[in-house]
Amino acid sequence: MNAATKATRPDAPPADASGAVMVVGGGIAGMQSAIDLANSGFKVYLVEHKSGIGGVMAQLAKTYPTNDCAL
Amino acid sequence: MNIELLPLTGVRSVEGEAGDFTVHLTQAPRYIDPEKCIACGECSRKCPSKVSNDFNAGLDKRKAVHILYDQTVPLKYAIDAEHCIYLQKGKCGNCAKVCPADAVNFADTPREFSVRVGSVVLAPGIRTFDPSAFDSYAYSRIPDVITSLEYERLLSASGPCQGHVLRPSDGTEPKRIAWLQCVGSRGNNKCDNDYCSNVCCMYALKQSLVTADHAHGEGHDQAIFFMDVRAHNKSFEQYYNQAMDKGVRILRARPHSFLPGEENRGVRVGYVNEAGEPLSEDFDMVVLSVGLEAPAEAKQLAETFDIKLDHWNFALTDPFDPVATSRKGVYVCGGFQEPKDIPRSVMEASAAASAATAGLTKGRGTRTAEREVPAAVDVLGEPPRIGVFVCSCGINISSVIDVQDVADYARTLPGVVHVENNMFSCSQDTQVAIAEVIRKHRLNRVVVAACTPRTHEPLFRETLEAAGLNKYLFAMANIRNHGSWVHATDPKGATRKARDQVRMAVASARHLAPLKEVTLGVTPSALVVGGGVAGMTAALGIAEQGFAVHLVERETELGGNARMLRVTQGRFETAPYLASLEKAVRGHAGITLHAGTTVADVEGFVGNFVTRLDSGTELRHGAIVLATGGVGLKPEGMYRYGEHPRIMTHQQIDAGFMDGSVDPKALQSVVFIQCVGSREPGRPYCSRVCCTHTVESALHIKRTNPDARVVVLYRDMRTYGQRELLYKEAREAGVIFSRFSLDHRPVVDVVNGTITVTFRDHVLQQDLTVEADLLGLASAIVAPDVNGLAQMVKATLSDEGWYVEAHSKLRPVDFVTDGMFMAGLGHYPKPLEESVTQARAAVSRVTTVLSRTEMTLAGTVATINKAKCVGCAVCWNVCPYNAISPDEKGFAEVNEALCKGCGLCAAACRSGAPDLRGFTTSDIMAQVSAMLG
Amino acid sequence: MKEIELYEPRIVAFFCHWCSYGAADLAGVSRMEYPASFRAVRIPCTGRMSPKFILHALRQGADGIWVSGCHPGDCHYGTGNYHSRRRLELLKNMLDYIGIEEGRIHFSWISSAEAEKFQQMAIRVVEAVRGLGPNTRLVKSVCSNCIPPVPTCDTMHECYEPLEEIPGAPRPNGSCCGGNGL
Repeated sequence: MNAATKATRPDAPPADASGAVMVVGGGIAGMQSAIDLANSGFKVYLVEHKSGIGGVMAQLAKTYPTNDCAL
Repeated sequence: MNIELLPLTGVRSVEGEAGDFTVHLTQAPRYIDPEKCIACGECSRKCPSKVSNDFNAGLDKRKAVHILYDQTVPLKYAIDAEHCIYLQKGKCGNCAKVCPADAVNFADTPREFSVRVGSVVLAPGIRTFDPSAFDSYAYSRIPDVITSLEYERLLSASGPCQGHVLRPSDGTEPKRIAWLQCVGSRGNNKCDNDYCSNVCCMYALKQSLVTADHAHGEGHDQAIFFMDVRAHNKSFEQYYNQAMDKGVRILRARPHSFLPGEENRGVRVGYVNEAGEPLSEDFDMVVLSVGLEAPAEAKQLAETFDIKLDHWNFALTDPFDPVATSRKGVYVCGGFQEPKDIPRSVMEASAAASAATAGLTKGRGTRTAEREVPAAVDVLGEPPRIGVFVCSCGINISSVIDVQDVADYARTLPGVVHVENNMFSCSQDTQVAIAEVIRKHRLNRVVVAACTPRTHEPLFRETLEAAGLNKYLFAMANIRNHGSWVHATDPKGATRKARDQVRMAVASARHLAPLKEVTLGVTPSALVVGGGVAGMTAALGIAEQGFAVHLVERETELGGNARMLRVTQGRFETAPYLASLEKAVRGHAGITLHAGTTVADVEGFVGNFVTRLDSGTELRHGAIVLATGGVGLKPEGMYRYGEHPRIMTHQQIDAGFMDGSVDPKALQSVVFIQCVGSREPGRPYCSRVCCTHTVESALHIKRTNPDARVVVLYRDMRTYGQRELLYKEAREAGVIFSRFSLDHRPVVDVVNGTITVTFRDHVLQQDLTVEADLLGLASAIVAPDVNGLAQMVKATLSDEGWYVEAHSKLRPVDFVTDGMFMAGLGHYPKPLEESVTQARAAVSRVTTVLSRTEMTLAGTVATINKAKCVGCAVCWNVCPYNAISPDEKGFAEVNEALCKGCGLCAAACRSGAPDLRGFTTSDIMAQVSAMLG
Repeated sequence: MKEIELYEPRIVAFFCHWCSYGAADLAGVSRMEYPASFRAVRIPCTGRMSPKFILHALRQGADGIWVSGCHPGDCHYGTGNYHSRRRLELLKNMLDYIGIEEGRIHFSWISSAEAEKFQQMAIRVVEAVRGLGPNTRLVKSVCSNCIPPVPTCDTMHECYEPLEEIPGAPRPNGSCCGGNGL
C-alpha cells in the first residue's frame, strides 16, 4: 500500500465507474474488503476519517483463542 | 497498489445509483507532507502540546503532532489542528524547526474531490459502550473501575505501561481483579442495550487468562461476574475451560454495589451468590466488560448513503442477504452490521467484496494498474559486487550504535564495493538513491543494515527490482530491533554485534543466487463440493462473477440441512428462500450441477486442479470450495432418545412443524433440554445454533398456543447478538427457563407411554418433575466423516472433524493450501445467515484467484540435486505439502507450485540432495562461519 | 569504576522467521534489554534446522546454540517444529555423549507475540552458556583469521562460487583446519 498514499488530484473522475469500489472505514473489515477487491481486479478507494488505518483491532493487546498479537 | 488510501477523509455526499456512484469527499489537512515525512518522530518529541491519547483509551497523553500508533499505515505524522499551538495561536512552530525532512506545512488546506465508483462498502466499525453516565457501574466515581478497552491498553506491550498492568488510583500492580460482564449489553435499563454484544465473554476470558499467565507470586485472583458464559465459536469452549483450569473464578452473579476501597483505592464489590447469600469482596481493580454499539457516525452515514438503520443504528440487513443494505449498490460489513468478533468481521468483509462486485464484472481490470518491473540484469557468473547501506533510523540506531564504525568496517569485508550511511534507508528518496547507486556501481548484491526483514524486506526488494536487479539478491542485518533497541545500555556490545551482523549478512549475500519466479496459468473455473445453502450460495456467487462452476452434491436433491429448518432469526422463513436459491442455481448457465455423485480424486494445485468424480467425469478448475456441511447428532443413549416417538431432536421438531406432524395447538407441556452431546467431555465444543433454535421453537409453540407450558432446561443461554431479543421475547411469552449443571442433569423417564422430566430448579434448589407430551433434545451438530475428501485435497481436520482454516482470526475462509476455501457447517456449526456470509466470502476469495490470468510463485522453493539423490523417499514422506514426488527414475522431484519453502526436506535428507533456495545450506553455514570467524 | 572484562560467550541462535524472530523484533519494539551475546540466523522454519548447522557452529567455536521455533501446533508449515524437536533432542543426546554439556544447547518455543518470554529466554541462555565457559570440545584449533570456506554449493544449478577469486579481498593466510569447512 506504499504507493497509495499519493495525494488524489481533484481532477475529473475517470470514465468507467464500474471498475472501482469505495470502502468506507479502515478497520479490519474495511482493510480485508479492500484487499479482496483490489486482488479481484478493482480499483479501491479506502476512506478513513482518522490519520491512519487499523481501527479497533489495532488497540487489542492479544486475540483469543490463540493469544496471538493483534497487530 | 490498486488501493488508494484516503486518510483524514470524510464523505460529503453521494450521487448516482448502483453501478455508477459519484462520491464527493473532503480530505482534512494533515499539515505534514506524507511524501516527505520519514516518521522519525522528532516533531512529536519537540511538540509542547499534550493531548489525551484516544488510541490508549485516554490513559496517557500524546502530542498534537502524532501518529496513531507505531504500526499504522500510512506511517506518517499528522498535526491535530485543534490542539496545535501554532495553528491556533500562531506561535511555536517547533515541529517545523526540528523536522529534518522539511515536511511540516502549516499552510495545508482541506481538499475537496470526487471519485466515481460502481459500489460502496461501508465498514465504519463499532464504538464501545460508555458507562460514565451510569452511577451503578461507579465508573466515574471510583478510579480503579475501568473499561475493558482501557484494560486492553494496559495489557498491551505497546500500551501506556508496556504491558505491566498498573491500576489508575496509585500506580501499583493490581493483584485481585474482577470483571463485570454485560455492561451496556443484555440490559433493559433505559440506556443499556438489550442485545448481546457477542464478544465480551471471550475477551474477558482472554484478559483474565493473560493476566493469570503474567501473575507471579501470592495473592493473585481473577474473578468474572457473569450471567451466561457465551463461548459459542470454534475452540472457544476449550478456552473457557482453560481459564477455569488456570484458576480464573467464574461467578454467576450480578453485583449490586461497587464501593470505593480505603482512600478511594480498589473496589468493594457486593453481590449475592448462587445460594442466595449476600457477600462482599475487595478487589484491587474492576474491569467493566463494555458492550459494542453502532459507530458514532452511523446516522450521518445512513443519511449520506440513504440506507436504513435498525433501532440501535446498525445497518438494516436481511439474514438471507446479510451484507446488502437497503440501498442497491451499498454494502456493509463488520460491526456496523451487528456487533461481532474478528473472524466474522473478516468473513463479512470478503462477503461484501464479492457482493459489491457481482454487478461490476465488465469493469474488472479497467482501472487497475500493474507495477512495471524492468527486466533483471543477468548477474550470473559475475564476482560479487556488494553494496552495504547502514541506516541510522533517525537516531533509533545511531544513538546506540556507532554507525560510522559499522560502515567503515563493512568496507573491509570481501566483495563489498560500496558502503554508505543513510539517515533513513527506507524513505522514498533514499529508495530512489539506492536504485541509482545499484546501477552506477553495478552492484549485484545489496545488504541493508537497518530494521527487521519481516517488515522491510519487501520494500527493499522492490527497490532492487526497480534497479533491474533480481530481488532475491538482498540480505538484511537487523541492527535496530535486534540491536540498538535491545542493547541501549551497552553501546559497545551493540556496535560489536552490528559489525558481526553486517559481516554475516555480507557472507550470506555472497551466497545468494538470482531466483526465478515461475508463472502459471489459471483455469478460470471453480469446484464447489456440497449442495446445501453454503455450497449453492458459493456456486451462484462465483457464477455471478463470470466464472464457470462445477457443483457436486452427493445426494440427488439440493438444500442440505436447510430443508429441515423452519425459520432463521426467529421469523424469516427458510423454505421460500431455499426454493428461490435452488431455482437460481439450476437456472444459471455458468453452473454445471453434478448431483448424486462424489469426488473420487483431486490432483494439482492452485489455479490448476484436476478432479475426477465417481461418475467418471473429469473436471479442470482453478479453485475449490468445500461446503460439505454438518449433521445433527442422533443422541442415542441420552435422555431416553429413541424410546418414545415424542422424544425428538430440534431438527426433527422443526421438520414436524413444517409437515404438520407436530402441531403446537395440540401440545400442553413441552420440555427442551439443551447441550445434548455438546460441551461434554467427549465433545467439548458448543454447537452454537441450538440455543437460538430452541428459543425459536419455544416461541413458535407459545405464539400458536399461549396456554402450553414450555420449559427450557439449559446450561448457559447462548442467544448471542440480536438473538438475545428472541430469548427476551420467549421469557416474556412465559417460556420457563431453568438452568442445570453437569452434576445435576435432568432425568427423563418413560412410564406407560408418558414422558416425565425431573430437574433441579436453580432458584428453588429442589427437584421438580413435569410430564411432557413433547421432549425436544437440542442435540449437537457434528462434523460428517470427510476424512477421505480431506486426504484427497490435503486439508487438515481438527480433533472434532472441522476443517482447519489458515488462521482462525484473519483467514477464516481459507485453507492452508492455496486456492482452497471453506464455507458453512464444515468449518464450524453456524446459523444459516452466517453460512451465507461465509459462502459469499468464499466467492470473494475464489475470485481473487480466478480473476488472474496467471500467478507468480515465490522463488524460495526447494530444489533437488539429482546427482546426490538415492530415491530413499525421506523427503517426499516428510514434505507437508506433497510437493515432492519420485520422477520416472525414482529420484525426487519438486513441484514448485506446491512447495512453500519450509526446508523440511533439506534438513531431512541424509545425502544432502535437496536444498532450499533463498535459505541454502551454504548460505546458513556461511553466516555461522562469518559470525564465529 | 574499573571495568571488569566479563567473559562473553559466542552463541549462535537460529530463529524461525514466523515466530521467534518476530518475538525478537517485538522485544525491540518494546525496548526489552538482554545481553548482546548471541547472533541470530533467520530460518524459514525450525524444520529447516539440519543438525549439521549445529555441529558446524560448534566446530567453528560457538560456545552455545539456541534454536527457537513456534509452539507445538502453531507451525506455519503445519508440522516443521515437531520434526525439529525430535531431530534436535536426538542430537542433544549425542552431543552429551561426546562431552558437549547440555547447557550449551537450548531449544524454546516462542510465538511472535511473546517478547517478554523471548527476553527471559535470551537472558537464561546467555547465563547458562556463560557459566560453562568457552567450548573446546569440538573445536579444531581455532585461529582468529581462519574463516574456513563453506561447502561449495554444487547443489544449486544457478549458484556459483566465485568467493575465492575476488581480487583484493582479504584471504585467510594459512588455513589451520585444512580448508575443510566441516
